[in-house]
Amino acid sequence: MKRLKSWPVWMLMAIITVGLLSVGSTRDLGPLTQGDRIDAITKRIACPTCDGESVYVSRASAAESIRKQVARDVSAGVKTDTEIIGSIAEVFQAQVLLVPRATGLDSLVWVLPIAVLVCAVTVLGFTFRRWRRLNQTGATEEDIALVESLMSVDPTDEENV
Amino acid sequence: MTNTTRSRPVVPFVAAAVGVVLLAFLVVLVMAKPGGSESASSPLLGRPAPVVQSSTIDDQAFDLSRRKGSWVVFNFFNSTCVPCRQEHPLLLQFADEQRRSSNPVELYTIINDDSDAAVRAYFQTFKGNWPKIRDSDGSISVAFGVAKVPETWVIDPDGFVRLRILGALSEGFLSEQIDTLKRQYAGEA
Repeated sequence: MKRLKSWPVWMLMAIITVGLLSVGSTRDLGPLTQGDRIDAITKRIACPTCDGESVYVSRASAAESIRKQVARDVSAGVKTDTEIIGSIAEVFQAQVLLVPRATGLDSLVWVLPIAVLVCAVTVLGFTFRRWRRLNQTGATEEDIALVESLMSVDPTDEENV
Repeated sequence: MTNTTRSRPVVPFVAAAVGVVLLAFLVVLVMAKPGGSESASSPLLGRPAPVVQSSTIDDQAFDLSRRKGSWVVFNFFNSTCVPCRQEHPLLLQFADEQRRSSNPVELYTIINDDSDAAVRAYFQTFKGNWPKIRDSDGSISVAFGVAKVPETWVIDPDGFVRLRILGALSEGFLSEQIDTLKRQYAGEA
């Protein structure tokens, strides 16, 4: 009986193991060449003159200039990817970030969904607990007496029908 | 008849939380700076100007750091851009005023995604004999954060960025701003 009850835990562990193995075997190891690095960086920068296009995709002159700047920075080999994106975002004033920063007001984009999820789960938890408590409410002595009196009546007895 | 237990109401707390979040959004919206003003903000304002080393379409070398001691105006330009064409008479007027000034400002056109031939043809037709600087690799535009032309930047004699004007100039705006900046600079000096 105890073994039967613990099967969800084993199931969860199996799912986690399979998940970790699949992530580990298929995860992106990051850019391997300078060209890959330039592509990876420009995919994270929005074209400042077009709607919803990354610098990687866009053919606009502003995007072209940013792409060349990224290529120069990558070739120089001094800055990290974050520093390159940061320097471009600084002059273009964060309007070019496709992936919002995790600091300041931008962090709301990351924090709010998690906060909403936590709130929703908490509210659901409270609601389910309340429903369970309502269902578990036992019968009162009055209820038991009423049921017993009804049960004691013989249904075949015509006088009681 | 059944004995129901009174549970604590959750809804008011949830409503209060949602209300707080909405109020926070409202505060952010109210406190956000409105866009669309003629002179625009930039992290470069008050900071040393980016390195600008290039050449003019007449193959003269240009290095911004060698222009220290003079007020410099960069006008980012493309010959096919309509607002650039609209502001051109104002730039001609400004250049003329500066020629007659005792402390003239150096005006430069920064060519944004355009060919030397097209720029030469444009200035032959519409006049304007100030230097036109090449930005073939877009490095000057990126360094200043210029996404759309026209844009005008003012750099003081110490090489610090003082003003950014987004879009086409309006009549007298550039001269007024430079006069103000010159007075401020004289006060600081």
